[in-house]
Amino acid sequence: MVIAHMVCSLLSYAAFLVAFVSGVLFLLQERQLKSKRMGVLFQQLPSLGALDRLNFLAISAGFGLLSVGMALGFVGSRVLLGRWWAGGSKENLTLLLWGSYLVLWIVRLRSTLRGRRVALLSILGFTLVLCTFVGASWVMPSWHPSL
Amino acid sequence: MHIVLVGLNHRTAPIELRERLAFRREQLGDVFTQLRGDLGLREATILSTCNRVEIYAGVPELNGTVAQLQRFLSEHGRMELDGLAPRLYSYTEPYSVRHLFSVASGLDSMVLGEGEIVQQVKYAYEAAKLYGATGKVFNVLFQKALNAAKAVRTQTAIGQGCTSVGTVAVELAEKIFGQLSGATVLLIGAGKISEITLKRLTDRGVGEVRIMNRSLERAEQLASVYQGGFLPLTALTEQLPLVDIVISSTSAPSYLLQPAEVAAAMRRRHQRSLCIVDLGVPRNVDPSVGTLENVYLFNVDDLQGLVDRSYAERQHALQQSEAIIAKKVEHFLSWCQREVGAPCALSLSEPAPAP
Repeated sequence: MVIAHMVCSLLSYAAFLVAFVSGVLFLLQERQLKSKRMGVLFQQLPSLGALDRLNFLAISAGFGLLSVGMALGFVGSRVLLGRWWAGGSKENLTLLLWGSYLVLWIVRLRSTLRGRRVALLSILGFTLVLCTFVGASWVMPSWHPSL
Repeated sequence: MHIVLVGLNHRTAPIELRERLAFRREQLGDVFTQLRGDLGLREATILSTCNRVEIYAGVPELNGTVAQLQRFLSEHGRMELDGLAPRLYSYTEPYSVRHLFSVASGLDSMVLGEGEIVQQVKYAYEAAKLYGATGKVFNVLFQKALNAAKAVRTQTAIGQGCTSVGTVAVELAEKIFGQLSGATVLLIGAGKISEITLKRLTDRGVGEVRIMNRSLERAEQLASVYQGGFLPLTALTEQLPLVDIVISSTSAPSYLLQPAEVAAAMRRRHQRSLCIVDLGVPRNVDPSVGTLENVYLFNVDDLQGLVDRSYAERQHALQQSEAIIAKKVEHFLSWCQREVGAPCALSLSEPAPAP
């Protein structure tokens, strides 16, 4: 149970990392095109279309995995601590993270936002992932086993 | 053995002359027999493309071989030697070897660095081999030529970049959309370059084509060529959200597309990337359209600048390429010296039965 929760969460972070990287590459390639340069970077980087598709795939996968991971977390908490919600900083941050990627996933799904803005948000989202993954337990103690 | 080359190319002879002297594949069997019998060549290969006709000959002695080959070519082309001779160049080793390696690498092509020539050299060599016209030396010579071409093309930028505005536009579109098969192109107006660009896009598999022109008749004409739809110019605002690539080439005195209109179209198309190629002079599209998010605008100067930069890079790579070739030529010649020595009597290879 706990292991499944960990694996899912870590995999979701990996997916968000992919979204981050594809976002960065998207912005780099976009810069090449906007400044009309066809140098080495332009040649080597994938197309905007491919990067955009990869980014969407990664956000979707990450969001799905995070949802499953969180659900498993709730169940684990109920089993181990007797309640669904432990209420520590890690859980709060993860909830915020989940909410953020929910919004990002929906706006991308409905094509409300595309291209440049999604790339930027993917980059921003990953910094939140880092905070959740690393920061929370260091900053404030919580019931969540530190990782 | 000596390696002699006699031929002409796009620099020394016009196309009418090159056409006359071209060798067709079916003729090669007889030609090689003649070269072996009448001219006493040990080995031979003929490179005949739209831009050059060259005979590579392997002979034990340099006994008027060049003159013989010149005469042979004039007879083949059914023309006076006096008229042909000034157009022909001739080399013996090491220059003949260097020439072959340079040709194979695309350094002697009309478009510097083009890659088709590699296949053409391979084809010429295989045909000669099939007819038993090659032997120990030429087998290695042509293998080394193809190796040199590969080395030059992988180690330098000679074969990279775009050579024309049309190809640049297509490369840009591919970097924006990835797969062109899902993209729709809108051609506004008409003109040589814009039509070439459209053709290149369709060759690369672009999805749908729409043609817009002030004259509906002209639009219909063009549309039938590309199996696309045609529309009047008045439909531009309505069409803009629906297309992905716009090629504009009209002589309109003022901008056809302004930022406000394009921004509105981008909202309606949910910010899907839009690539606009503005070939109009004066420009058809307000330059500030290019600053909009997810819109990529290129005008004639941008595209030509990219072509020029690409050419400059290939020129730069020329020096590098020549250095690589010089080394490869040296290797080949030392092999030749070791294995074959100065002119020696090689056994005549039996001609293979004609296919």
